Amino acid sequence: MRSPFTSLLSSKYGIIVLLGLTVLFAFIFVPEFGTVNNLTNIAIQSAPLAILAIGQTVVIIAGLIDLSVGMLLGLIVVIIADLMQGESSMTVVAILAALGLGGGVGMINGLLNNLLRIHPLILTFGMLSILQGLIFVYTDRSVGQVSSEFSWMANGTVIGVPFAIILLMFVALLTSFLLYKTRLGAHIFAVGGGEEQARRAGIMTGRVKIWAFIISGVSAGVAGMLVAGRLGTGYPNAGVGYELDAIVAVVLGGTSLAGGRGSILGTIAAVFVLGVASNILNLMEISSFVQIFVKGLIVVIAILLNQPKRIIAS
Amino acid sequence: MSDRMGAEIDGVQTKIWRWASSNAIWVVLALLFAIAALLSDAFLRPVYIFNVVRQAAPVGIAAIGVTLVMILGGVDLSVGAVISLTAVLTAVLMDGQVANIPLAVTVALAAGACIGGINGTLIAYNRISPFILTLGMAVVVTGMTQIYSGGTARGIVSPGFREFFNYRIGGIVPVLALTFLGLALLGVRLQQTTKFCRNLYLIGSNPQAAELSGLPVKRITIFAYALSGLMGAMAGIALLARSGVSSTFAGRGLEFDVLAAVILGGTTFQGGRGGIGGTIAAVFVLLIAFNLVNIVGLDYNAQLIVKGAIIIIASSAYIYFKKVR
Amino acid sequence: MRKLITFVGSTLVAIGLLSGMTVAADDARVMQEKQAAEMVDTTAYKKDGPYKIGVAAGYMGNSWVVFTLQHIRYEASLHDEITEVLVTDAAFNPTKQVADIEDLISKGVDLILYWPVDDKAIEGALQKAKEKGIPTINTGGGFVDSPSVTASVFIDQWNLGEMVARRLFQDMGGKGKIFAMLPIAGTTAAVDQLAALKEVMKEYPDIELLTAEYGDWNRAKAKQITENLLQKYPEIDGVFSPAGQMSIGVAEAFDEAGRLGEVVMSPGDEYNGWLKWVRANNQGGAVTFPTRVGQESLRLGMRILRGESVRKGMKVPSEYISPGAAGVYAEMDRPDDWWASELPEEWKPQ
Repeated sequence: MRSPFTSLLSSKYGIIVLLGLTVLFAFIFVPEFGTVNNLTNIAIQSAPLAILAIGQTVVIIAGLIDLSVGMLLGLIVVIIADLMQGESSMTVVAILAALGLGGGVGMINGLLNNLLRIHPLILTFGMLSILQGLIFVYTDRSVGQVSSEFSWMANGTVIGVPFAIILLMFVALLTSFLLYKTRLGAHIFAVGGGEEQARRAGIMTGRVKIWAFIISGVSAGVAGMLVAGRLGTGYPNAGVGYELDAIVAVVLGGTSLAGGRGSILGTIAAVFVLGVASNILNLMEISSFVQIFVKGLIVVIAILLNQPKRIIAS
Repeated sequence: MSDRMGAEIDGVQTKIWRWASSNAIWVVLALLFAIAALLSDAFLRPVYIFNVVRQAAPVGIAAIGVTLVMILGGVDLSVGAVISLTAVLTAVLMDGQVANIPLAVTVALAAGACIGGINGTLIAYNRISPFILTLGMAVVVTGMTQIYSGGTARGIVSPGFREFFNYRIGGIVPVLALTFLGLALLGVRLQQTTKFCRNLYLIGSNPQAAELSGLPVKRITIFAYALSGLMGAMAGIALLARSGVSSTFAGRGLEFDVLAAVILGGTTFQGGRGGIGGTIAAVFVLLIAFNLVNIVGLDYNAQLIVKGAIIIIASSAYIYFKKVR
Repeated sequence: MRKLITFVGSTLVAIGLLSGMTVAADDARVMQEKQAAEMVDTTAYKKDGPYKIGVAAGYMGNSWVVFTLQHIRYEASLHDEITEVLVTDAAFNPTKQVADIEDLISKGVDLILYWPVDDKAIEGALQKAKEKGIPTINTGGGFVDSPSVTASVFIDQWNLGEMVARRLFQDMGGKGKIFAMLPIAGTTAAVDQLAALKEVMKEYPDIELLTAEYGDWNRAKAKQITENLLQKYPEIDGVFSPAGQMSIGVAEAFDEAGRLGEVVMSPGDEYNGWLKWVRANNQGGAVTFPTRVGQESLRLGMRILRGESVRKGMKVPSEYISPGAAGVYAEMDRPDDWWASELPEEWKPQ
């Protein structure tokens, strides 16, 4: 009954097709869209969320969820900007601090998840509040300044390609390798697909979950570096709302919240669908109130088109 | 003799544990309340206690509806946006006239139920994640509210409306607090007695089996979400009654307070378990936690940390009591 | 004689200390005044119409901003050479605002008016505009001294906080216990208002600040927090609350607790709900947070596009309005969420 068009859209590659259609639409109807400048902007704007969403994809595949990443990103932005104070000599320290802090908080999430056995949504929701408190213990206003290297990481280009995109590709490839080519990756899928069976098969499920949270935390660290570079300063509310955007992108990209399956490529495509949509709505001079409405519709329609065909009987 | 006494004590202990474990969230609430009362005698003053009940009304009322869809195995994140929309809508339709109250309230409730009905229909007839669908719907509704209002909460509340809901019966119990408690009791009662609610549990614990046994799963799903939207609208009206309307984003973020309460109250994402009673207790746990850190006089940042810690600790305590059984 | 020397000496020391203190305190202020008075050479921005105006809103979700934007649109309607006004909304997200400014540049606007989510965070994006020859004007909140910002048309949050504090302390007779109800933690408004309050408190040793709370510009939250504070503190003599939107929630909580009689409310702003309250209770008054800052901003922008040299900072002054006079501005048949303004009727938000 379905036309080939709808069935293509609702296939596994639906989100990528949707991205193609959005870009095609933009090229035809929005003259300013295709300029190198504008395309570079979209790439730079979308990279932090894409990296954050890749980490979120991993925790969601493991059957978990991590709401704390938004505030974690905010904390990292504040701390590394304050560490650097514009000094290039502190760049490496700041990178290590971002990754360490991200991984560390991720590990705490994982340990608490195993120890307390409460739903990860509640756990990380509580953690979100704690991290937000920590940010404001640290500062109630923008602090510090990033080094010029950080600015370049977020805004600069290498032979015309934004460095942020190179970083995104590196993170995507590394995570894909981890997920599809390593034992840990296989275990993450197994735990998400059914924890009890995974345990019976001899997988140390607790340890796998800790690793999933660590990956999510580290991704918040990398995304935080880019956001800090973009803002130039440690703005305490920099991470507000990022966690939800990330989760929306993950699910739009075809990863099931039930765990056990998912796609890094889909997640990245979904981030760019949202980024391109936001860009063309701005360029088409749609009123900001209508923009909110349209963005919501895009999410609803995309999720309707992108649904799995049948529930796999458990 | 002493053996028998020992056995009896054991028996009593078991009984207490059994009671405690099946009412874990109430035990947590009682403990938290006791701590609160020790730290501040405010929690022993009836007027303040009913202030807390009134503060709880918007989130509490919305949480009743969300509990129902979560028992079903769904979730509704659009309630925050529905609260914003209906608070603004009600005030605009009232336009400062007493005569407009019935129309305003009816239209707001219908709008809420309608949005819920759309959520339910899309979810019932598609295999999509209710989490993301309702999140998307929240954005749609927020956009609608902004377009409709032009960015300012431009309504005028009818005279007497807020005064009625904030009137204290016997100088102590505000009508709004009483309304909330009434709705909560009604919810608990319906949950125990109606076939609809029994079906919610059946579908939530095993959707395939429910479908095979001939339950009208789709109809029940739509109805449950519509109810959630309706309760969201009531929550919006409650918010308007409690503190007037001063923004088109009055309900922003409340969906997460609601979600935290429902889960803390023992209703899980998987569905089939939990209930309205637990949710109500959890609403109070979260609210008292916030008020307590506020009253004890912690800084804003410390408030956030303690609030987060309490959410985690209270959930853990709940799991602990459950396990003892 | 010895007594006299001691007296004169200690007086001199006291005067020295006092003046030293004031100098130190005012240093930043004097500095800012000086920076604001600097003239900006705008010949590089001179160009002929027609013009496209870009507005990069840090947020649109409150009525003050909606009125300010209406002032911009109204002013634009008075200039035939302005063909369109493009508005973006960052919804409190600084990275989105950076992206919005970049989008406006791509779209080829000739002037960017903005109000920031965070000043520092958008500096880079504003710099890009400058490099493309697009002047940028900071509109609203506070003065910004940054090479990437062409000019600021601003309401001085610090000054406003100071006026509110002084009036409150006068109304309280110079002594008593107060709490402060501030906007979202971390915003310029919250930081500057609290700093101004603490500065003025140095002159009033008998004023005690019990606590500073953040009500997020949210009437319900302000009310809830006040209900808690009323339990914690048996004595509250005054409330420092420059935002009328929150002041109503605060006053309502006092009223319901039967303690409105004991407290002095500080002036709020010209938020209509607050003005209605002032009219009913004949106290508090208002220190204005004028929405016409939007109109002044576009006027300044047009001068820049004509190549006239302008001041780096143009202050739209806050004015104190006594309770009696404030009551006159209250529009009883309008919503609470509304601002007293000089907008012509057809340009008020519909």
